[in-house]
Amino acid sequence: MTALLDSAALDQADGTGTTLARLLRAEFMKLRTTSAGWLFLTGFIVFTAMALTINGFGNYSLLHPEQGLVSAAQALAQTAQARSPAGVATMAASMMTSGQLFGVLFALLLGVVIVTSEFANQTAAVTFVTVPRRVTVIRAKVAAAACCGALFWLAGTVMAAVATPLFLYSQHVSASLAGWTVTRSVLLNLLAFVAWGVFGLALGAVLRSQMGAVVAAIVVYAGSFGAILVFTALYNLFHQGWMLGAPVIAPAVASEVMTTSGQAFPHAPPGWVGGVIMIGYTVALVAGGIALTKRRDVI
Amino acid sequence: MVVLLAVVVIGGLVWLMRLKRGGARADRARTDGGGPGLPDRPFGGRRVSPALMSQGRIEVRGLTKEYRGVRAVDDLSFTVEPGRVTGFLGPNGAGKTTTLRMLLDLVEPTAGTATIGGIRYADLDQPIRRVGAVLEAGAAHKDRTGRDHLRIVCLSAGIPLARADEVLELVGLGVAASRTFRGYSLGMRQRLGVAAALLGDPQVLILDEPANGLDPEGIRWMRDLLRTLAAQGRTVLVSSHLLGEMAQLADDLVIVAAGRLAAQGTVASVIGSMTWLSRTLVRTPELEKLAAVLGGDAVVTPAGDGGAYIAGADAIAIGDAALRAGVAIHQLVTQLPDLEGAFLELTAGKAAIR
Repeated sequence: MTALLDSAALDQADGTGTTLARLLRAEFMKLRTTSAGWLFLTGFIVFTAMALTINGFGNYSLLHPEQGLVSAAQALAQTAQARSPAGVATMAASMMTSGQLFGVLFALLLGVVIVTSEFANQTAAVTFVTVPRRVTVIRAKVAAAACCGALFWLAGTVMAAVATPLFLYSQHVSASLAGWTVTRSVLLNLLAFVAWGVFGLALGAVLRSQMGAVVAAIVVYAGSFGAILVFTALYNLFHQGWMLGAPVIAPAVASEVMTTSGQAFPHAPPGWVGGVIMIGYTVALVAGGIALTKRRDVI
Repeated sequence: MVVLLAVVVIGGLVWLMRLKRGGARADRARTDGGGPGLPDRPFGGRRVSPALMSQGRIEVRGLTKEYRGVRAVDDLSFTVEPGRVTGFLGPNGAGKTTTLRMLLDLVEPTAGTATIGGIRYADLDQPIRRVGAVLEAGAAHKDRTGRDHLRIVCLSAGIPLARADEVLELVGLGVAASRTFRGYSLGMRQRLGVAAALLGDPQVLILDEPANGLDPEGIRWMRDLLRTLAAQGRTVLVSSHLLGEMAQLADDLVIVAAGRLAAQGTVASVIGSMTWLSRTLVRTPELEKLAAVLGGDAVVTPAGDGGAYIAGADAIAIGDAALRAGVAIHQLVTQLPDLEGAFLELTAGKAAIR
């Protein structure tokens, strides 16, 4: 159609790039132009700084056990264990992923907000009228939530990458941050942040209500740890061995099992089981969110 | 690990540079460009090509939407032609918004089709370059500026960001471009909605109650804008429950009540079709004699100043009867109902709450 309005800008419209890439850039602009994303990022940075400090104190007490709390022989053994190459590597890995347990909540809730704010502010109709391909819109949002998760991870990891060598140097111990123990933890941490961001996005797409989805996200995350209590109580009643490892079916426990280099809790299954369960939940939720978004009316 | 971090950081920087380059391109476009130009290119009298006509025609066929057993829209069929303003009228709850949302693929019809130029909205290539829609005045994030709201639509649709400033000027929001949506009055929100609809320079405009909340000056602005757009050959479908506004604005009418089509046609033809609502003003010195010869079907109501309104018999029947009875007629005028009368009669008894 010939342009009926004189427009220098429209004459230059090129429509380059795929719809998905354009939508992803639009999602980032949505985040940049409102306060929610910045608030979450600031909150996450403050929280990570606190977690690093607490973790530093914890590791300091491992390296310098207080006499009186443990016997001199125990203290010597503990210090030797902590200062051994494996001990230092575990310490470095735990510092490099400081605050991960609750840090992923920021990625989770931002994921929820990316989709539910569209319904809370009635912009969903504008979004879907602009691009009626709803699956592509949700895919762009999934990508945006994954990127936000990765960005949080990057911010936390950069902070930890500055703090961890300083701490180790001050304690006269050294560990290579490029060693496999540390790298594995940092990479699994990235996977957790990305997975929880996408999990939140999909939960928001399914529930649509901002308040409902935020509450559901917190309940799912915090409630997951209740699974350990529930299955421990069940084990005490029925004495079935599988019950001790069963809490891994709760998403946050699965994520914890996935990222913990040792055992997340006594009798926990191997890390890959947690990974498969966490990613399984995320993929199922995304599929549900896409199916519902395709089918539901936007009113 | 260090390598991984480096890759991520470099990737991020490349991304940011690309964004910046896009912005710079948009800025260039803004400085190079002329004004918005809507009123500078009057379209009056220009013939709309047949191809453009068919591209801009809205066709609704047997459209039905059921919500939990209630038919919000019931077997609705109508056509909207380009180059004209079509008023989509009905009482609140008549199914206007649901119909417009089905047209834009936001709501899935239970049955029937709604097409633009013969194509479903969802199947249009670059839909916002073809169709502009104003759905709700409150449809923007409260913390976002008007300019950013439009830029996000531009970015999603592959339109240069500079276009946002062009349409903001066009709707008179240039000075408020950097203000957040929270600070906009209802009238400004309506204007922002119209600006978003015009971003893609569309052939078809669909507006849901755009005059709601506008002051008289705003209503006049909206009327002039929509008339200009229609005069340029665009299709303008505008829903409203405000009759007075439609009488001044619309060329054609689609009237719905309780989800069903009540009438469709030009304003004159819709009113003219309601001859059973028309009445005839008669002035005669022998009213009783005339009434007697007209018979039982005619209802005579005194008009006050010696004349009378006669319903149930048209001017020809009254004239013939008067001639037969030898009654002198001083005045005989057929009075058609106005739009309000027609609308109320067409939608009477079809309650908004169903």
